[in-house]
Amino acid sequence: MSTFTRRRFLKTSSLIAMAPAVPSFLASTARAAAAEQEERILVVIQMDGGNDGINTVVPFAAEGYAKYRRELRLNADQVIKLNDSVGLHPRLKPLAELFENSRLAIVQGVGYPNPNRSHDVSMAIWQTARFDSAEHKSFGWLGRAMDERISDSTPRGADSILLGDENPPVALRGRRSTSVALAHLNDLKLKSNLDLRSNPGPATDDLLSFARRAAYDARATADLIDEVTTGASRSDSHYPDTQLASRLCSIAQLIKSGFQTPVYYAIQSGYDTHAVQLPTHNRLLNELSGAMKAFQDDLDAAGLADRVLTFCFSEFGRRVEENVSLGTDHGTAGPVFVMGPRVIAGLHGLPADLTSLDDGGIQMQFDFRQIYATLLQDWLSLPPDRIIGGSFQKARLLNL
Amino acid sequence: MTTTQSSKLARWRPTDDQPWNLRRVWHLHRRAGFGATWDELQRDLREGHDAAIGRIVSTLNDSPAVNDPFETMSSVICDAAVAANNINRLKAWWLYRMMNTLCPLCERLTLMWHNHFATTNIKVHDVGMMRRQNDSLRRNANCSFADLLKTMSHDSALLVWLDADSNRTEHPNENLAREIIELFTLGVGNYSEQDIKEAARALTGWTVKQGEFLNVAARHDAGQKTIFGHEGHWDGDGFIQLLLEQPATPRRIAFRIGELLMGEGSSSLVDELAVVLSEHDATTAKAVEAVLRSEAFFANENIGNRVQSPAEFVIGAIRSLELNQSPPSTLLLAEFAANLGQDLFYPPNVFGWPGGRSWLTSRAIIGRANFASELIAGELHTSKRPFEAAQLANLHGFSGDQEVAAFYAQLLLGEERIPDELVQFANDPNQFVTALLSSPLAFLA
Repeated sequence: MSTFTRRRFLKTSSLIAMAPAVPSFLASTARAAAAEQEERILVVIQMDGGNDGINTVVPFAAEGYAKYRRELRLNADQVIKLNDSVGLHPRLKPLAELFENSRLAIVQGVGYPNPNRSHDVSMAIWQTARFDSAEHKSFGWLGRAMDERISDSTPRGADSILLGDENPPVALRGRRSTSVALAHLNDLKLKSNLDLRSNPGPATDDLLSFARRAAYDARATADLIDEVTTGASRSDSHYPDTQLASRLCSIAQLIKSGFQTPVYYAIQSGYDTHAVQLPTHNRLLNELSGAMKAFQDDLDAAGLADRVLTFCFSEFGRRVEENVSLGTDHGTAGPVFVMGPRVIAGLHGLPADLTSLDDGGIQMQFDFRQIYATLLQDWLSLPPDRIIGGSFQKARLLNL
Repeated sequence: MTTTQSSKLARWRPTDDQPWNLRRVWHLHRRAGFGATWDELQRDLREGHDAAIGRIVSTLNDSPAVNDPFETMSSVICDAAVAANNINRLKAWWLYRMMNTLCPLCERLTLMWHNHFATTNIKVHDVGMMRRQNDSLRRNANCSFADLLKTMSHDSALLVWLDADSNRTEHPNENLAREIIELFTLGVGNYSEQDIKEAARALTGWTVKQGEFLNVAARHDAGQKTIFGHEGHWDGDGFIQLLLEQPATPRRIAFRIGELLMGEGSSSLVDELAVVLSEHDATTAKAVEAVLRSEAFFANENIGNRVQSPAEFVIGAIRSLELNQSPPSTLLLAEFAANLGQDLFYPPNVFGWPGGRSWLTSRAIIGRANFASELIAGELHTSKRPFEAAQLANLHGFSGDQEVAAFYAQLLLGEERIPDELVQFANDPNQFVTALLSSPLAFLA
């Protein structure tokens, strides 16, 4: 089993020793060349539409569950029990395995005060960490975070990538930082088979030398991408054949090819289950967990897992009581997942209290900005307060 | 304006050491346009530098004739894109203009201003507004910066992008004020935070209603303000006028023009150009002409030292290869420009595209090579039509593989001899052109 790590890329690319600044698509180049210090990566999965937390992290033993979910109730023998009171939706078996292997933290009841039940508004709140609608189209939490990271005007590639064909969400928008959308890795493959490899030449700083080294680096990158996507060591066969899995697979391939982009984003749509929820929710959670497990396994096998943390959220949970259309309507707080070898694995917070609801939705236990504070400060080493608009007590999620 | 012997804007004259040769003609067209065809290169070589520069400058100052066929077609395509509410078709329209215009410098300037007043449709989300902004930029591209700034300050796309509507007396939003000051006029360090706060107050009341600029008096903070040391009951227009009177403004415009026409490591013209701009009511055309005629522009060190932006690279190839006669799909060209890092109407943020070396990311370089192979293989045309490299060269009097290769080295790289790294491809003209356009030599101009 071969491992594609940045170290291997650096060894095979004789450029690095010579170059003061060698651009790759998404690398923070000076940093990469200088210290071989491998930066941490945050992968964000957005469950779009409002994931029904109650049927995801299921309070199967609670009286209220049977009462409020007459048709949508998951039987106690169907759920994957995590303890006496809480279990996972049956299609989340891969996540249960991650949970057992100490790679998954489940944070219950994440929301914010005065929950807003409009998709656009609530998603904008999560993405910008701001409540004033005037700020909902400006900059996002990850964009601001990447702004904080920029220390000088050295040319660098994009600070974040959205894997997919959606428009990059406002979460990734910063004032100075930049984000790109990549629909698939074909853009990084050379179509012609003309052998255009040429010696990069001496490492002087004049423009033509720089251009030659950049071209050399680009071709090395294209070769690596080719290897990880088509070579004998490709692991995409271990990924399920779903859109989210394919996106996470591409992210893994980029990381394996040596890209140092600190933030990746992928969106999984369809969670707005107002009617006939069960089959849709089954399919979505199946796709989610299969993709997340394959991604984590891939990173583990490549020796890269230590550098990557995956965070999975939705803009709100759904109402506890089902509606008459065999579905659920917009709710309030819900669970988030944080995945990686460095998490404090297990359940965080208490099972949803179905006896004390907030206008039909569950009460929040954690403010999402507490999660962000942890991810920003502990994982990405960035000062959180300006980014999330205030000081919030971090949630203890990481073991670093 | 008086210039001294050591002035960088002193008029350039050909000498033995710096002759008016093919390389300089090629350089002029790459910097002041999107490159030239063989006939254009030969014509300008023959007619001399004064005529060549004069021709370019006069197209900048001309207005198109009424019912000009190109302008008529351009309007049809543009109107259709807006009616279809399709931003990709608007990108394709602009590339159509770049490909066919008789004033390529006009389009280069429009692109420069698009980068300067960087407004992205990702937030504006309105094809009509982006089109009107583009029209305003083009109309004012070579005029006085005062006119351009005043027009832009009332441009609906810009005001939506910079949250003009959220800027109210009760809760000012400084976004518009900050970016107008820091990015569009004075540049970093030439103002205080207090100036921004006061400017934001001056701009209260400006908004966009039904796609048009509107000044809502009731929302305006009419109180006393001090901006750049000047006291007054400044309103938005008053504030814009104050900006135009700051000396840092012509410097910033000079910087932009320098980015447009000068390369790395060449003499900085900013100081001298700023003076030209202050003296001529800051008309961009005058400043551009001053640069194009200057010693600094034609100095050896200023040739081949600039990274071509994706639009220049893509359109440059098409115009030089005379492919605009039977052009590839402009929608595909727009996609390529985006993959190469320049998604028209979607600058990455308010700072625009940083340009220069930052164009040369791995993805962009791979993209340039893929563009070259697809263009030459004819795959960018709606029905596949491979380019016939030998044919174009033959047409201009070059026959046999070696001569054909030499033709393309001159046409596309301004080089008298075939570069060593391309020699191996010389026995197949199509491969030669593909390899040339994919090589680092073609990144620069």
